[in-house]
Order: sequence, then C-alpha cells, then structure tokens
Amino acid sequence: MVERRFPRNLGSLEPMVRFVADYVRHKGFDAEHSFTVDLLVEEIFTNMLRHAKGGGPDVSVGLEGDVPELVLTLRDYDVDSFDPTAAPPAGAPGGEGVGLRLVRRISDSIRYEYRERSAIITLTKRFPL
Amino acid sequence: MLEIDVQPGGVVRLRGRLDAAQADRAKDTLLTLNGPSTIDLTDLDYVSSAGLGVLVQTFKRLRDSGHSLVLTNLKPRIRSVFVYAGLDKVLRLE
Repeated sequence: MVERRFPRNLGSLEPMVRFVADYVRHKGFDAEHSFTVDLLVEEIFTNMLRHAKGGGPDVSVGLEGDVPELVLTLRDYDVDSFDPTAAPPAGAPGGEGVGLRLVRRISDSIRYEYRERSAIITLTKRFPL
Repeated sequence: MLEIDVQPGGVVRLRGRLDAAQADRAKDTLLTLNGPSTIDLTDLDYVSSAGLGVLVQTFKRLRDSGHSLVLTNLKPRIRSVFVYAGLDKVLRLE
C-alpha cells in the first residue's frame, strides 16, 4: 500500500487528485478510473472534515490493489468516533447526505473502524475489465 | 481548478473541476444569475456532492423567482453522478 498524509483542509483536494492519478497510472488502471477514485476520496474526506469531532493536523490516504480492484483507505487521527456508515437511509431524520449516497452507489464495499482514536474508512472498488 | 465564464443571456460555462474547494466561488458567481439560465457543462471534467449542492441551490433560487435553469452537454460520467444522486429527476438535464 502507498500512503500519504495531507493537511486536514480543503486545500488538500488538489494534491490528493495528483496522488490518485499517479497511483492509477502506475498500476495500469484506466485513466478514466481516476474520476471514480477522486469522487470517493473527496466525499469521505469532506465528510471527515464536516462531522468528525477533534482531529489532528493531517488525514492520510492509502491506496492498494491492482487491476481490476482498488482498495482505498482514509484515516482521520485523534478524533471521536463517528461512523458515517451507520447513518439512516437518505430521507430519514438524520439520514445520509448526497455524498454518502454517492459513495454507496459507486463503491463495492465500505467499512468503518475506530482504533486508537483514529477513524478509518476502507472502500473497495472493482472496475470492469 | 475551475473556470467560470459568464456570458450574456444567462449562459454560464463551467470548465474543469467543481469540487468542495471550488464550490463557494461557483456559488458566488451563480448568484449573479437572475433570469432564465443555462449552464453549459461541456468542459466540466468532475463534479462532487459539493458541486451538485451549488447547482441545486441555484436551481431552487431561480425556480422560486419564476425562472428556469437548464444544464446542458453533460459528459456521461458527469451525468452518472447526477443520476446516482437522484438529481436527474429534479434538475433539467439536456
């Protein structure tokens, strides 16, 4: 897995896009797949910024896997536990927002873990060959 | 990066990436629309939920003033984001 830390603010979106594009190209995924991975990264990252209480100065993004399956991990350090995957369905009180709805539609799996005050979201995406 | 080109007649062209980092700037520019409007997405390469939110806010504001908003020339991958979000049934996509 390759992993990189980014400052915990929206200015990190642009370097995250470059990080994803480099990995996708290096691993031989279709360049078009960067679009999907960028969307997953942004939606989870902005969800962390919006909802996680606490938070250190950085968030890490990890990428692993080869064609056709990519595994994406985002880790938010020194935060209280907040499990976005436990949100009620869209439309219910306190239900999931559009971003999480997109993540559920686009990814093949989503898993939340909370360890040592780190919130960790792991997504898998299998791209058609 | 996002380029926003406001043209006469209520036409706006968005070029690049409409993500959370660009959403506020897009929102401010789209607030200048005050009549029937068209947003041309021919050169939009990326949109996230933050960008969708800006477009929905613009749609609602114009609708409440009795005006229309049309989004045109969406690339298939951009259209798919609207569809996944269920917004193809809310917004006018051409």
